[in-house]
Amino acid sequence: MFTKQNLLTYLVALGIILTLNFFLPRMMPGDPLMAIYGDEALVQMSPELQTDLTERFALDQSLGSQFVSYWAGLLRGDLGYSYSYNAPVTEVIFGRLHWTLLLAGLALILSTMLGILLGIESGWRRGGRFDGGMISGMVGLSGFPDFFLGILLLLLFAVNLELLPLFGAEDAYSGLSGIDRLADIGEHLLLPLVALTLARLTGSYLLTRNTMIGVLKEPYILLARAKGLKPRTIKYRHAGRNSMLPVMTRTAIWVGRMVTGVLFIEIVFAYPGIGLLTYDALTFRDYPVLQGLLLVSALCVLGANFIVDLLYAKVDPRVNYAR
Amino acid sequence: MHVDPKREVAKSKGGRIGLVLLLIVVLTAIFAPLLSSHDPLVQTVQSFESPSWGHPLGTNHAGQDIWSQLVYGARTSLLVGLLVAMLSTILAALIGTSAALVGGVYDRVVMRLVDSFIVMPVIILLILLSVYVDPNLGSGAVTSIEFLIGIVIFGVSFYMVRSLGWIGLLIIGPIIALVILSRDLLPSTGGLIIILSLLCWQGGARTLRAQSLSLKERPHIAAARGFGGGTWYIMRRHIIPDLGPLLVADFVFTVRRAVFLQAGLAFLGIGDPNVVSWGSMISDAHEWIFLDAWRWWLVPAGVALSMTIIAITLIGSALESALDPRLRGEVSAQN
Repeated sequence: MFTKQNLLTYLVALGIILTLNFFLPRMMPGDPLMAIYGDEALVQMSPELQTDLTERFALDQSLGSQFVSYWAGLLRGDLGYSYSYNAPVTEVIFGRLHWTLLLAGLALILSTMLGILLGIESGWRRGGRFDGGMISGMVGLSGFPDFFLGILLLLLFAVNLELLPLFGAEDAYSGLSGIDRLADIGEHLLLPLVALTLARLTGSYLLTRNTMIGVLKEPYILLARAKGLKPRTIKYRHAGRNSMLPVMTRTAIWVGRMVTGVLFIEIVFAYPGIGLLTYDALTFRDYPVLQGLLLVSALCVLGANFIVDLLYAKVDPRVNYAR
Repeated sequence: MHVDPKREVAKSKGGRIGLVLLLIVVLTAIFAPLLSSHDPLVQTVQSFESPSWGHPLGTNHAGQDIWSQLVYGARTSLLVGLLVAMLSTILAALIGTSAALVGGVYDRVVMRLVDSFIVMPVIILLILLSVYVDPNLGSGAVTSIEFLIGIVIFGVSFYMVRSLGWIGLLIIGPIIALVILSRDLLPSTGGLIIILSLLCWQGGARTLRAQSLSLKERPHIAAARGFGGGTWYIMRRHIIPDLGPLLVADFVFTVRRAVFLQAGLAFLGIGDPNVVSWGSMISDAHEWIFLDAWRWWLVPAGVALSMTIIAITLIGSALESALDPRLRGEVSAQN
């Protein structure tokens, strides 16, 4: 549920990130322009661009007026200029966002649905062979870091069997269009999607299963049994539906963590989304892009939490009664 | 909270498997010099050699012995995992219990800070910090980090021995041995350990605060207060000892998180390149994926990392079910 307390939390978090973004480069010794852009970028920068950037962010003035122009820039949606991409940071980030949304969105839907389904089945047959096998499998799976899992899939299907493409989101300069292009994109998407889905599966599975076990002990399940309802109806409509709530919350929160969540998978498969952008920006020491990414990912987390707070009262009416 | 952590873990099947696996990793880390005959960092011209008697897992692109890297990688993972967990659990205990006991404005301010750190994207924050903060610490900083860690370990051993008896020494002994043996890693990982500790305590502080809030209403605390016990005294003598099992569970899950984070950062190439680590081994092997070397390079490193994490998860789940009897025979959903 949404409270003043939560709003304060979000504001504090945002404040810490903005402060870090502002002070980290300016605490570095030497020319602030050099600290913000890195010395390599500065050497290649034309004097006109240097003066333009200095003026736009008031870098030759006091810390106070720098702070004011930093905020003014943020409010205009101006996150600075990326030298390695030769474009404004906002443009660089939003130009990559759709690939991450495609990959993360599908992985989220798949892993959540699969997790809920397996969790319901497993919880229903608690202590049985299916349940035991699932649990051991899932604990094992959760121990594999996502980048290792990704590389193993890459090795098997792309390097050894040569069934699927090795990297990227589509073949460059292939000139494909329509259905062919969609098929190409799908082929490139498959491996990273499977890796990300597997990496996320354990969480939603275990949460559903544990909730399911609790729900099955509730009196209304006993009543449903006494009424002579079919086991399948009880399993899915009565118990299953109520076991989905915590998973839904968790999923929404993960939406906010998207940038971190896809980071390693995108690196392994060289998938050109936000995660790979983060890695490239780290490699090229593109400070403005990194700062923009931190801000964007923080805004995603805060936005997702905000939506969860708002939605939760709607999805679970008990939250409102409890108030 | 009349739960005996050591009995609960030893009683469950998962817990026993976890303990055995972790013991293998710990022993490997402690006896690393005996298990390997090469220096894991020395580069030679014999690169990409296949496994042989001299090099059980062959050599990598820089001609370094992969088996030695694997064995010494256990030290890095465990050192970072254990020290981060120790420091952050102590922070969590101090901050969580004091927030519960002091209450008022202090409690509200601290908890808002805790919540805001919980929602922050840790990895992105670490990436940004890594490009600005110089990873090479000065000798003064290293000495103070060593001093801090020394004091912490001394305090923890004292507490463990007092509350658990000789078993406590059995648990803390290998940790002390490990820290002493791998103290040459501290100059290159000290900064990382401190930063990770500062980013990992918030979740634990939340749980510990909640439990302390209920503990402080118990009669024996009221009695202690009635006899004139101050906040610090009650925290030290009553609340923190009562939180024991919860602290152990928090510690175990933080070890897991720190091992994960350390491997992830090494995979990204953040930190000192002269630290042998499973994460950087996987990252290097990923670049040479077309060679057959992945069989003795990528897979052993990945399996070692996964095995360590699975072992810690199993121990943590066994502990968690001991704390929450409803979960008996279940697996924790904490990931």
